[in-house]
Amino acid sequence: MNDMVDLLKSIFKGTDARTLGENRLSVTTPGESVLAVLDYLKASGFYQLKSISCVDWIDDNEFELVYHVASLERPLHIMVKTRIDRDKPVFPTAMSIFKNAGIFEREIHELFGVMFEGNPDLNPLFLDNWKDIPPFRKDFDMRKYVKDTYDSIPSFEEYKWQKEN
Amino acid sequence: MAERELELIFGPQHLGMVGNLSISLNVEGDTILSARVNPGYLHRGFEKLMEYRNWIQNFPLVCRINMIESEPVEMVYAMAVEDLAGIEVPERAQYIRTMIQEMSRLSCHFTAAWAYTSILGFDTPAQWAMGDRDYLLDLFEDLTGARVYHIYNMPGGVRRDLPEGFEDKLLAFLDAVHNRLPDYNSTFFENRLFYERASGIGKISPEDAIEMGGTGQVLRGCGIKHDIRKLEPYAAYSDMDFEVPTREAGDAYSRVLVIRDEMVQSVSILKQCIEKMPSGKVYEKTPNPFKWKVPKGETYVRVESARGEFGLYLVSNGGNRPYRAHFKTPSFVHGLVILERLLKGANIADVGNIMLSLYVIAPEIDR
Repeated sequence: MNDMVDLLKSIFKGTDARTLGENRLSVTTPGESVLAVLDYLKASGFYQLKSISCVDWIDDNEFELVYHVASLERPLHIMVKTRIDRDKPVFPTAMSIFKNAGIFEREIHELFGVMFEGNPDLNPLFLDNWKDIPPFRKDFDMRKYVKDTYDSIPSFEEYKWQKEN
Repeated sequence: MAERELELIFGPQHLGMVGNLSISLNVEGDTILSARVNPGYLHRGFEKLMEYRNWIQNFPLVCRINMIESEPVEMVYAMAVEDLAGIEVPERAQYIRTMIQEMSRLSCHFTAAWAYTSILGFDTPAQWAMGDRDYLLDLFEDLTGARVYHIYNMPGGVRRDLPEGFEDKLLAFLDAVHNRLPDYNSTFFENRLFYERASGIGKISPEDAIEMGGTGQVLRGCGIKHDIRKLEPYAAYSDMDFEVPTREAGDAYSRVLVIRDEMVQSVSILKQCIEKMPSGKVYEKTPNPFKWKVPKGETYVRVESARGEFGLYLVSNGGNRPYRAHFKTPSFVHGLVILERLLKGANIADVGNIMLSLYVIAPEIDR
């Protein structure tokens, strides 16, 4: 695993890699070399994309995209991380490398509002007629939303009263 | 556009659909030209809700991600918190966890057998499977106090020790299941009607399965020997002696046979658990839940659930709540990517057949 760390650091400029526990490797890389890192990892045996996660670091005004790649023979699991600007969240799609990336990007697009350039299908996945800001962002106040949405629905007594008068 | 193309909304209110999932099919005659899965009927935003609750309060929440098999979800969350906080789990707790994981796997496979058989019209084995699952739920109730959502795993171990006489009850149940499995074979798994119905349906090649992110039965059904329990043993699986069943064909029938063989292996693992169960404490003391701050960090933890790899990416910023939790659920790719692909060119009558052979469970997709 340590040779993997050194290799990644030497091939890709500005890339930092560190081990987390026994079988986890966390690779931090600037946005422009993410696809190259993923391509390299796929060629060196980590050929399955497990998932893509997104973390909203609101204090740094950044989104963090985490690509989980792994091989089926080795227990090593690699997380490729990159940070993108929160005000202009646009990032190229990874569909050219991993075909199943599209569905994870569709989820992130809906829940965080990150735009993936080149992904043909970014339709909403879970939410219906969502008008608010993307709900998984940290500045979306879930409790306020619930109060605003559901407190305005009149109770049965109020409804009856309104109808009778 | 084909000449007599028709859009057919299949589910969530459809007799051939198990679970709250909707598929819009473009059909011509009986053949499906293209399919599009519409999830979201069970989206409750658990990952967001977790950010509002402290580390312990999340346990009753996460288990609801999957109603059929809540144990792997609880355990993956407990393991992630342990990893971040650096808690060692006592050996006896590891064995109890292994035991309850396998009980949960058996119960999930019984539920799957019920759904599959009833959708194809094999009513007798369907009732048997539901009945046998109920004995397992009784055992769960004995052990944890609850039947479906157990909330039994905690960071540092399990909530309480085995009740008196539990091992004997479990052994009696395992013997009953062992004697029952040949009956399931003759009525369902090796029934010629089922073979005709499932073989050659929903065929997937190993390359496609890997490329589309398949795990669990999808991989093992096309000959790839992949199991997190062997690849990266967690709990007490490194002490257990078991096989990873595989089949070569990659169709619905081979995936179902993998499930059947896994039930045999689960029975064997459970017997080994009881045999090798060490003594000692089952719980490592953790701080006061209201004041507990888990150190800053991130982790990815995975277990082999009944349907495939179940993972959790958990981030802590040093506070008393998770900063971000993201579940990697097996049904997400199986249901949204592989199902759409396999339905292309299939028959309308095989939608439920293919969906259940992929073991798609809707609440897991939506979260």
